[in-house]
Amino acid sequence: MRITEHPLLSFQRKRVIHFTFNGGPLEAYEGETIAAALHAAGIKVLSRSITYSRPRGFFCAIGKCASCMMNVNGVPNVKTCVTLVEEGMVVESQHKGVLKPFTGPKKSHISHMKTQVAVIGAGPAGLNAAVTAHAYGASVLVIDENPHAGGQLVKQTHKFFGSSRERAGTRGTEIAKILYREAESFVMLQAAVVGHYNDRGHRLVLVKDGTLAELEAEKVIVATGASENMLLFENNDLPGVYGAGAVQTLMNVYGIVPGNSVLMVGAGNVGLIVSYQLLQAGVKVVGVVEALPRIGGYHVHAAKVRRCGVPIYTSTSILKALGEEYVTGAVTVSLDKDWNHIPGTERKFDVDTICLAVGLSPSIEFFCQAGCRIAHIPELGGNTPVHSPAMETTVKGMYAAGDAAGIGEANTAMMEGKIAALSCVKALGLSTLETEKESKESYEELRLLRSGSFGERARQGKERVFAIMEELHE
Amino acid sequence: MREKAEAVIIGGGVTGCGTAYSLAKKGLTDVVVLERGGLCTGASGRCGGGIRQQFTTEANIALAMESVRLFEQLSEELDTDIEYEQGGYLIIAYEDDVDQFRKNVRLQNSLGLHSRFITPAEAQEIVPLLNTDPIAGATFCQTDGHANPFRVVHGYARKAQEMGVEINKFTNVTDIVAVDGHIQAVRTDKGTVKTDTVVNAAGAHSRDIAAMVGVDLPNKPYRHEILVTEPLEHVLDPMVISFKTGIYFSQQKHGSIIGGIGDPEEPSSYNLSGSLRFLKRMARTMVELVPAFGHLNVLRQWAGLYDVTPDAQPILGWTEGVDRFCQANGYSGHGFMVAPKVTELVAELIVDGKPSMPIDDLTLSRFEGEITGEAYVVG
Repeated sequence: MRITEHPLLSFQRKRVIHFTFNGGPLEAYEGETIAAALHAAGIKVLSRSITYSRPRGFFCAIGKCASCMMNVNGVPNVKTCVTLVEEGMVVESQHKGVLKPFTGPKKSHISHMKTQVAVIGAGPAGLNAAVTAHAYGASVLVIDENPHAGGQLVKQTHKFFGSSRERAGTRGTEIAKILYREAESFVMLQAAVVGHYNDRGHRLVLVKDGTLAELEAEKVIVATGASENMLLFENNDLPGVYGAGAVQTLMNVYGIVPGNSVLMVGAGNVGLIVSYQLLQAGVKVVGVVEALPRIGGYHVHAAKVRRCGVPIYTSTSILKALGEEYVTGAVTVSLDKDWNHIPGTERKFDVDTICLAVGLSPSIEFFCQAGCRIAHIPELGGNTPVHSPAMETTVKGMYAAGDAAGIGEANTAMMEGKIAALSCVKALGLSTLETEKESKESYEELRLLRSGSFGERARQGKERVFAIMEELHE
Repeated sequence: MREKAEAVIIGGGVTGCGTAYSLAKKGLTDVVVLERGGLCTGASGRCGGGIRQQFTTEANIALAMESVRLFEQLSEELDTDIEYEQGGYLIIAYEDDVDQFRKNVRLQNSLGLHSRFITPAEAQEIVPLLNTDPIAGATFCQTDGHANPFRVVHGYARKAQEMGVEINKFTNVTDIVAVDGHIQAVRTDKGTVKTDTVVNAAGAHSRDIAAMVGVDLPNKPYRHEILVTEPLEHVLDPMVISFKTGIYFSQQKHGSIIGGIGDPEEPSSYNLSGSLRFLKRMARTMVELVPAFGHLNVLRQWAGLYDVTPDAQPILGWTEGVDRFCQANGYSGHGFMVAPKVTELVAELIVDGKPSMPIDDLTLSRFEGEITGEAYVVG
């Protein structure tokens, strides 16, 4: 179902596109991904799992989890959540990848590219890094597999807190546009970096339009963001169990509601904000459950949600999802102080969507591939690349920024991107008289952003990471 | 860790765990396995899982045939599905391979192996997606196949432990104590085990282990790279292999294609990183043989170490100069496929003093004389 009226967003739908799903004709709007268009048509089950033929829908909607894979124009395992729908496309559910006659070029050509700074990920960290490095005259290329630049900013309709320098009071969607305008000429979208190789410097391999390209870079800034955490409960793989970010993407980017009624799991800032956004889109939120005995997010967000009549149940967890093909309900249970289920406290909700807002984990694949030292830092979301305050990892010339360097938020991500870029600028010998000053200001800005009580966990996490880095140096 | 044992096995791969299982089955359960990482984290866990009998030396053919006989019963014996499939090995023959391949088939047939030389058209019947343009024929043996090495190694380990063997993971061997050619104990970073019998099943690190008692093994480590694709509908029964290009690939039970390609320019090293060169060579060579694979996405690539001897045959049995020091290494890329029989023979040697098949041609001392090598080596 598409949103037609929204208090903040207006969806300018482009021309109508025709495609087929399992042989039947469907319509979509240009600019929609396949998964979004199918969801708008009420199709939640995209494919079936290989071993048990369980129904599969999308979970993350940003190309991270691979549960949305379908056969598109005869090519199996296409991530439909990041692939734009096109006129005449043939989209089919799959059980296993089915091999059709090869339609690609007979002899594949591998193109070679060179850049001084390669940035993986066009989110707030990546874009800000690219803009900064470019301003100092470095050649820059940003690669992102999504059809939109801006990362998760493109769906953040709320106004940002933080300092005025870093665009406080501006909605995330606007910040994404501003950054992208500055960086557009060196951003490559719908291109996936699929490998990092250390042979003779940094070599990235990317796939664009079905062909491979090799990118030789002097410095690499990895700003790949994070993936949403899954929670263990019965039927957690049913279509209709979505990450909070996926729900935001669907609603705020494509103007499509995830369902009619939602149970939100997690009362941190993300859970609270997304609950409010659901209400703004006209979706019923039956409640927010939180395993902790207290609400994790800002009270201003919690109060807004409560004023709309949405109950927040603390010390409560989800027990199971109900439904055969997709979610038709949810059962929650109260927890005692040792996190055990309290029998008899089960409560059933009639919902068609369960939204999980239970934290993020850094996307660290490239750091692992390059051999960076990884440390488990719970304050930063788990496994995190060890890095210096200048954002360099243990592999020379590879930098981390944003959620990929430990979970934070968009403002700190932008600042980390900038710091990483300035480090590259210095290492490349492109410094000017301004560089040191800008660098100092950025460190100070980052310190301020993390100075409040809500920045405490991230601050502690970063201190641990820097300490490990220092130890390695000694 | 036990303070003493009748035998200590160094290495927790298919040879080490298989030997532990074979020893326990023969009643020798006072055995300690020492593994510096997790089980199956060396070459066993990195290989393609191929099981082939089409070799070119009598010793290798016999070992492989006996191993297949054992693999056929292994799922039942280990109470675990080892995902064993006998889809055959299709060995691609190019023009200048033909004469030698026909000779090899004759030798294999004389030893009772039902391999045969087939035409390109026959090869295409077995692999309908095969591009037969560049090939002159193939040899095929239906009873060759592949299995899941993780299932096999963990199956061996679990059964061995149930019978009383102790397996110590993340335990690094630091020294072997020997006095006048008699082993006294094995030292590790977690303690010392007294023993008079040691099995050196440390794969590419066997040379370092042997050096601890002054034995010089001729083995050299070589990186071999391999990749896995996304899962597909079932399109490929056999392992497809070419000794000319060094490529091999097969489809696993869950649908993925797993395959690798040897690199003649690879130097001896302990390098385990993945290279872009491999990815390109593998993709080009595989798509030339099966053009439909041009669609496939590669999920992961990784590398493992071949433990290579001068004649590409394993080193098995007792070692001159050090009493009860048993070698079970040097498989040169074929360790998994011969492990069931080899480990049985090693157990017989240790318990009965004599293996049921002669392994004299495979002892370390053979390198003092003239060497007849295995020609069918990938890479």
